[in-house]
Amino acid sequence: MVKALTKSFKKSLWVYHCNSGSCNGCDIEIIAALCPRYDVERFGIKLVGTPRHADVLLITGPVTRQLVEKVKRVYAQMPDPKAVICVGNCGNTGDVFYESYNLVGPIDQVIPVDVYVIGCPPRPENIINGVAKAWVKLETLEAKR
Amino acid sequence: MSQESRLTPEQIVQSFQETFPNNIRDSRIERHTAGLKKTELVHIWMRMDREKFKDILKHIMTIDKAPHLAVVSGYDSNETIELIYHFSVYHGTPYQELSLNFVVSLPKADPTIETITDVYPGALITEQEKQEMLGVVVKGIPVNRRVFISDDFPKGVYPWRRDETGPAKMVKNLHHEVKP
Amino acid sequence: MSTLTKTTYQIPIGPIHPALKEPVMFEFEIDGEQIVNVDVRLGHVHRAIEWAGTRRNPIQVLYLAERICGICSYCHPMAFALAVERIAGIEVPDRAQYLRVIHAELERICSHILWAGVAAHEIGFDSVLFLTWEMRERALDLTEYLTGNRVTKGITMIGGIRRDITPDMHPQIHEKLQYFKDNFEKIRHIYLDDKTFKMRTKGCGVLTKEEAVKLNAVGPTARASGVKIDVRRDQSFFAYGDLDFDYITPDVLTGEVNGDVYDRIIVRLLEVKQSLELIEQSLKQMPEGPIVAEPKIAKLLAMLKKADGEAIGRMEAPRGEVFHYVKMNGSECPYFWKVRAPTYSNILPWIPMLKGEQIADIPIVAASTDPCMSCTNRVTFIEKNNSYTLDREELHRRSVEKTRRLCP
Repeated sequence: MVKALTKSFKKSLWVYHCNSGSCNGCDIEIIAALCPRYDVERFGIKLVGTPRHADVLLITGPVTRQLVEKVKRVYAQMPDPKAVICVGNCGNTGDVFYESYNLVGPIDQVIPVDVYVIGCPPRPENIINGVAKAWVKLETLEAKR
Repeated sequence: MSQESRLTPEQIVQSFQETFPNNIRDSRIERHTAGLKKTELVHIWMRMDREKFKDILKHIMTIDKAPHLAVVSGYDSNETIELIYHFSVYHGTPYQELSLNFVVSLPKADPTIETITDVYPGALITEQEKQEMLGVVVKGIPVNRRVFISDDFPKGVYPWRRDETGPAKMVKNLHHEVKP
Repeated sequence: MSTLTKTTYQIPIGPIHPALKEPVMFEFEIDGEQIVNVDVRLGHVHRAIEWAGTRRNPIQVLYLAERICGICSYCHPMAFALAVERIAGIEVPDRAQYLRVIHAELERICSHILWAGVAAHEIGFDSVLFLTWEMRERALDLTEYLTGNRVTKGITMIGGIRRDITPDMHPQIHEKLQYFKDNFEKIRHIYLDDKTFKMRTKGCGVLTKEEAVKLNAVGPTARASGVKIDVRRDQSFFAYGDLDFDYITPDVLTGEVNGDVYDRIIVRLLEVKQSLELIEQSLKQMPEGPIVAEPKIAKLLAMLKKADGEAIGRMEAPRGEVFHYVKMNGSECPYFWKVRAPTYSNILPWIPMLKGEQIADIPIVAASTDPCMSCTNRVTFIEKNNSYTLDREELHRRSVEKTRRLCP
């Protein structure tokens, strides 16, 4: 892991955050990861405003009926190589919202997911760990091209 | 509002009963206390008829010029649909606020009710919600469309209903979708 | 105007955005730079929580209610617990009432500081965003110390609370509270005296008292317009009846009420200070005793199974009044559960606030109510006969440009 990371520091990673119906818990923890306490920008990880600029998609929430088409569209807009990180239990399994008439998820039924980050909500350290894993994956994909 | 013009919970119930002798039933005053000082809070519940319901809700204005409408909630009680209008009056003076809850029954065969948005404009969203969730028809609602469920959600399915128009067919269990 | 075609296409995601990251759609009618009309569409995050709540037992519902909103993860389960306790006739011990106040006020501090950062970000003041979020981490540290979690706290129990505050925890709590007291003046100076902040927020997004009352605004949004409405002071719940505090309206500080964004900042800042005082008062006055009415969960569940009736639970969340209506009919699950979050009431007031404002002011005005379920991620503008869309980034860029124009 450490070995892979040092190699991949060559590239700074841009992430895009997408909320597919989550409760805000994961979303504020993602922002917390960017703020001074955790400060991921020092690693070159940056949140960007459009999926067209992003390498990694951070997606939260169990995908509501209204958002399913839009989530697919965001995924399609991202350039290759790309990685998808599903942040939080509700995107992974449905969590407490598992039984509902308005949900289409879990996220991996809608778009392919590379890294699953668990927790409700996951701590910022956990989210950063997830992004670092996606980093390794992207580097591998890049090397194969 | 000055202290003198305030009515006690009993006087409020009485005022409604006197003004609408045939339309107010089952009034109930609920009292609770909290803290070491045992400060009291009062919730008033009243059941009203559909015919005069708008006049009854307008009558709240005579008790407090600026009542606060919290929300309209409602449920399916098998035979009827019950709507509950939750108001509160006398806010702004410490521990004097009273919650007024008005229950009205609508028969399932004809679940129509008049809008109150002309009297309480803040009721718009909650009335729209009742239409889509319970299948209530609000007559005269200024903007008639869905708020919380999407436009492609099937017509004739009302999520809060407990009968055949409920959402049972649409339920998806996400836990079953998880691959081991 | 009737010949215009409105596109309802929207993208659901707000980019990096702490408060405006949940999807909602606004449709604006624009005349040049000025907003003529606004329309709001909601419901993108409808997860059918109220319906799911009628299929679980009341203790399971607590954890569901906690996940209605990650920022208000304390007040929703608490309002539900209040309603259920009233139905089942459970008397909450006095010590638990005080502990409940402490957690409610701690959540208010977290939420208001979070909001302050977002407001700064909206007008292009990112250094202040980072400063306030650094402060927020201290509040989260305290939350974690008291509850074991940072965001979803898992502290609520029907009939009480799940963790006690022991005397050996007091020094740590006071130390954290002192940090906020020491830094309060710094934050106050930035938000209330800074020239740029004043220029961008004074006279912007005005909500008059009449409109606030008419549209049933709640919380700081209503109080900033001069409406004295605060459930903590209006109705007695928890131990608020024993504590010494008052309604906060902007005239407390400035002697006048304008109902603009600046006034909403004043109200929230003063409430942070008020919350610190309330926590200290509670720690001092807290009596000894049990923290939960019925410690055995199985016994509690059996008791709740017999409960029959209906009740409401209201409490003051950071954003305003949270309202829960619960009906139980002597079965395992609640018969009906209605949740009214504060933003639900604060959506309609957006319309008068935004009318007549400029495009660049949309982010700060929309953020000023601290929307909890919404996001101006993509806005459709209608200009002449062409309709075009601006995404959040473009909107944010315009907002930042306006700040630079005002303050070169």
